Amino acid sequence: MSSIINLIPVLAFLVLMLLISVYVQKSSEDDRQKNFAKDYFIGGRTLGGFVLAMTTAATYSSVSTFVGGPGMAWIIGYGWLYMAIVQVVVIFLVLGVFGKKIALVARRIDAVTVIDVLRARYKSNFLANFAAVVIVGFFCATMVAQFVGAAKLFEAVTGYSYLTGLSLFGLIVVFYTTIGGFKGVAITDSFCAIAMIAGMCLLFGAMMETGGGFDNIMKHISTNHPDMLEPLSRGKMPISLYISQWLLVGICTLALPQSVVRGISFKNTQALHRAIVIGTVVIGAMTLVATVIGVLSKGILTGDLASYGGSVDNITPLTIVKSMGPFWAGVTIIGPIAATISTVSSLLLAASSSIIKDVYMNHLASQGKELANDSVRNLSLAATVILGLAVYAIAITPPSVIWIINMFAFGGLQTAFFWVLIFGLFWYKANKNGAIAAMVGGVLVYCATMAMKIKVLDLHQIVIGIGVSLIFFLVGNSFGKTVDDETLEIFFPERFDN
Amino acid sequence: MKRSEKFRQANREAKATILATIAVIAFWWVAGFGLADVNISYLHTPLWVWGGCLGTWIFAILVTLYLTKYVFVDFDLDDKEEGK
Repeated sequence: MSSIINLIPVLAFLVLMLLISVYVQKSSEDDRQKNFAKDYFIGGRTLGGFVLAMTTAATYSSVSTFVGGPGMAWIIGYGWLYMAIVQVVVIFLVLGVFGKKIALVARRIDAVTVIDVLRARYKSNFLANFAAVVIVGFFCATMVAQFVGAAKLFEAVTGYSYLTGLSLFGLIVVFYTTIGGFKGVAITDSFCAIAMIAGMCLLFGAMMETGGGFDNIMKHISTNHPDMLEPLSRGKMPISLYISQWLLVGICTLALPQSVVRGISFKNTQALHRAIVIGTVVIGAMTLVATVIGVLSKGILTGDLASYGGSVDNITPLTIVKSMGPFWAGVTIIGPIAATISTVSSLLLAASSSIIKDVYMNHLASQGKELANDSVRNLSLAATVILGLAVYAIAITPPSVIWIINMFAFGGLQTAFFWVLIFGLFWYKANKNGAIAAMVGGVLVYCATMAMKIKVLDLHQIVIGIGVSLIFFLVGNSFGKTVDDETLEIFFPERFDN
Repeated sequence: MKRSEKFRQANREAKATILATIAVIAFWWVAGFGLADVNISYLHTPLWVWGGCLGTWIFAILVTLYLTKYVFVDFDLDDKEEGK
């Protein structure tokens, strides 16, 4: 099984990503001489509509779009697809609600990160530093989980060892993110999004051939697994799960900092409008095709779960191996690898910007010191590469605590940022005390209820996290001072109109 | 456009986006759960799958086209024509 043939396509793709990043680095040299942080962490606010759409969609869709999701669809059936399709709202929601407002504010205060915006709004170093800790901690755990998922898939499909796969794409993504910066990440993300769709279409086509066509596979499923054709899947998909998913992977993703930061990065309103449409087309297509593949693989992998190693994560690799020869399997696997590296690259850069820009540079500024542009450059590059290599090293043998943090990460980030961002940008009375209470209290309560498996009405703990965070915000807010006029003028100029 | 007018417009667009999301959720519910008991299949795939999954995607695209054409407005993001 393990032959050089199924390594070549992935290798070629990864080398292409590297070349793009080298090119971006060369062509941005002038901008980086002037203001390194602005070019490196936010791409100088020059993204066009297509790239903005692709990078937002590619960052959002991860290795689980290819592995965990289709695996569950193999068990549940179309109910899982019906639930997954809620993700069509995620791109237009974040760009439509926050896009213009955060773009206007960021230009005014010269913000590079989401935390820059929060610091300017709430005037609290504690809030900014806590947010940085939340981002770095949860992002690192997510990156490790992404690496592990992709390396396992790589091993199952190509026959090369876990460590070979991990080292191959793990080291390359760290390296290209470090040199390419935000613009490099955005452009490579666009290629990754295209590779994901291409990989899915290839697999879909090969499955059709193996299974004797869509109608034939569906006939098999409707005869043998009629439960897979019901939205509630005979109790396997309760309504509470639908509601939980609408919140967890739909509405609450609004506040994920890795998505919101893209609101600072685009060139003009035309780009934003185009990205809203293109992004919705792309995220919907990815979700549909990937999950339909999972459903249809029931016609290819007809045994029970135990005969496939007892884990739904084995479904996608086995489907690939069973429907294609080694070369095409090697091409198809570019898709999930692309999904992984496009998520990791964005998280890695956002995490290193938090460390350097939000914490370190700000700490120096509070002592009246300012870093020279060259020092910013060296520190930023060093932070990105060191953090990336640390994540790679942890992914070789991840300790169990990583899985716990990873389980908390998605909802934890949403709880931390949801009300703090929404109220910060849309409610002029929101103040520092409310924001701190909402972020700190919300995250703690969310993680505690996750750890203790406490649920309300059988809904996911995100409901508790978001609900408690809202109450904390309103209570904390009533003890705080009203915001000063200067801040109000930056964030709510419409209040000064008569 | 004055800076304050841009912010008013951004607020309006944010509200419209929320309404659009509610519309997508409503469509998703009706075209999926609402059709779950209809006994029509195409390619051995029941109607609610086509409506609730493929339909929701297409509906969401139409919604974004409507938003960006009729609700969202182009303006300069920089502060050139600053006015209090």
